[in-house]
Amino acid sequence: MLKTAFYILSLFCSSFCYAQSDSIIDSSANHMNLKLTYVSSLIYPGISIGVEYPINHVTLSVLKNQILIKRISRDRFISGNLNWYHHAGFHDNLYLTAEWVMRRTRYTGLISEFSMGPGLSRTFVGGTTYKVDDQGNISIVKLAGYYYALITAGGGLGYDFSMKKQLPLSALAKLNIISMFPYNSTVYFRPVLELGIRYAPVRSKNMPDK
Amino acid sequence: MRKVLFLCIIILSQGCQKEKISISENASDIFYVENADASMRVLVKGNTMSNTFILVIHGGPGVSSYFYDTKYISQNLGDKFAMVYWDQRNAGASQGTNNGDDLHLDQMVEDLKKVIEVLKYRYGQDMSLFLLGHSFGGLIAADFITRPGYQSMITGLINVDGSHNYPLNDTLTRQALLTEGNYQVSQKRNINNWMPIISYCKSHKGNFSLEESMQLENYATEAENYVDSINHINMVTQVLKYTITDKYPLTAILSNLLFSEDSNFNKELAVKQFSSSLGIVTVPVLVLWGKYDFTCPLALGEDFYTHINSSEKKIAISLQSGHNMILQDKKFFCEEVSNFVLKYR
Repeated sequence: MLKTAFYILSLFCSSFCYAQSDSIIDSSANHMNLKLTYVSSLIYPGISIGVEYPINHVTLSVLKNQILIKRISRDRFISGNLNWYHHAGFHDNLYLTAEWVMRRTRYTGLISEFSMGPGLSRTFVGGTTYKVDDQGNISIVKLAGYYYALITAGGGLGYDFSMKKQLPLSALAKLNIISMFPYNSTVYFRPVLELGIRYAPVRSKNMPDK
Repeated sequence: MRKVLFLCIIILSQGCQKEKISISENASDIFYVENADASMRVLVKGNTMSNTFILVIHGGPGVSSYFYDTKYISQNLGDKFAMVYWDQRNAGASQGTNNGDDLHLDQMVEDLKKVIEVLKYRYGQDMSLFLLGHSFGGLIAADFITRPGYQSMITGLINVDGSHNYPLNDTLTRQALLTEGNYQVSQKRNINNWMPIISYCKSHKGNFSLEESMQLENYATEAENYVDSINHINMVTQVLKYTITDKYPLTAILSNLLFSEDSNFNKELAVKQFSSSLGIVTVPVLVLWGKYDFTCPLALGEDFYTHINSSEKKIAISLQSGHNMILQDKKFFCEEVSNFVLKYR
């Protein structure tokens, strides 16, 4: 009984204990990342540019017999993105988002991340838009479209080239769901696939040197 | 900074659509009509040189006009006439913000009037224009055509399985389900499927609430599956077939459909009827109906046909259709529409 209790207690404590980890606040990691991606929903093209500002960076190194066997960095960013897609005959959508990004980068360079945040959308209706007044006079509405509140959430995978090579770039593939409202008094959901690169101008000291 | 500015210019130039008006045998123009916080998509497709336009008023409420734009119709009607596909407010690719309060029949009729005005502004005031209302679109068409002065805007009307009288519709749906159900059971066909439908109809005899009305409609749709004579169409396959080529905004179509189906608007519709005012109608009318339409039964088409005052009118029945004749008996549909329009344009 005592043995079991001790075992459970030690397991519990180990979850707070980073005896084998090297947790270092890396000041050199406080740099802005730039992102450029192609965004698309099925066949509808678009583009996204963004800036990431780091909030938190932790590197966990797992050692066994003084040999590094695993290193994971966990980052938190706030990002600002300007996005646009073109859905012919429907609308063009220009939207700004501010996202909370949680990213994990493995020693191998594999990245997994999740993000979500609010935004503002301005659509441009996909065709000449006419308005008819009560007297039957017809005019063309310039830049017809609507403003919507927006929430985006997404997750994806990527590869950090700086882990193995001296390239300050990452490739990423991410699926986001954007929801716009009030859209015809309801919510409009749209899946958006993002493919692109991220540029990190300053290289972290935590990255392994060759 | 310069790059960002350049990008913004590209984006905005994509947003600013140039007015495109095609007068050709193979036109495909998209424009929008803005009214009461809704921008409604209109696709004009086919032979605009013919100066003859068929404006499709889709069903629903909340179903999209995208589903009516098929390859067969393009090849068999669009080659001779210009097909006009209008997405009603809160349907298909139509857009807006907090506009749910504007979703009512009066507003939709005014929307239709404005769509016609824009259509004539773009393609010529002297055009021949036919309205083609299907299902719920038949209610909009009936409301439109019975308003004083409105029928002068059109050349003719085609009513395809349309409902001009919702209270009567429910009563006739119940009767049609009972009649066909009892016949099918007597023939020992799909007995297990028909019995719950028959039982429901027997226990709900009239004065239908909205819930009962919706249940009858669900049974009417389901019952088509239990009649072998109908040419069954898989709607999912049908939608997927055109999703990419016709650039469907699928999630918008779905959001709009779900909102419209749940809207209070349906309570307003449940008591709408135009049988008593159809006497005002004098333009040529074609009434097309599916023999096995339980959603809007054939007797509803006969009621419409009887009440209109047109000297030029015809009723034609497809023997292999339910509620979606446009897809279920496309050859019959296109031939009837084509002959009618060629005769009266």
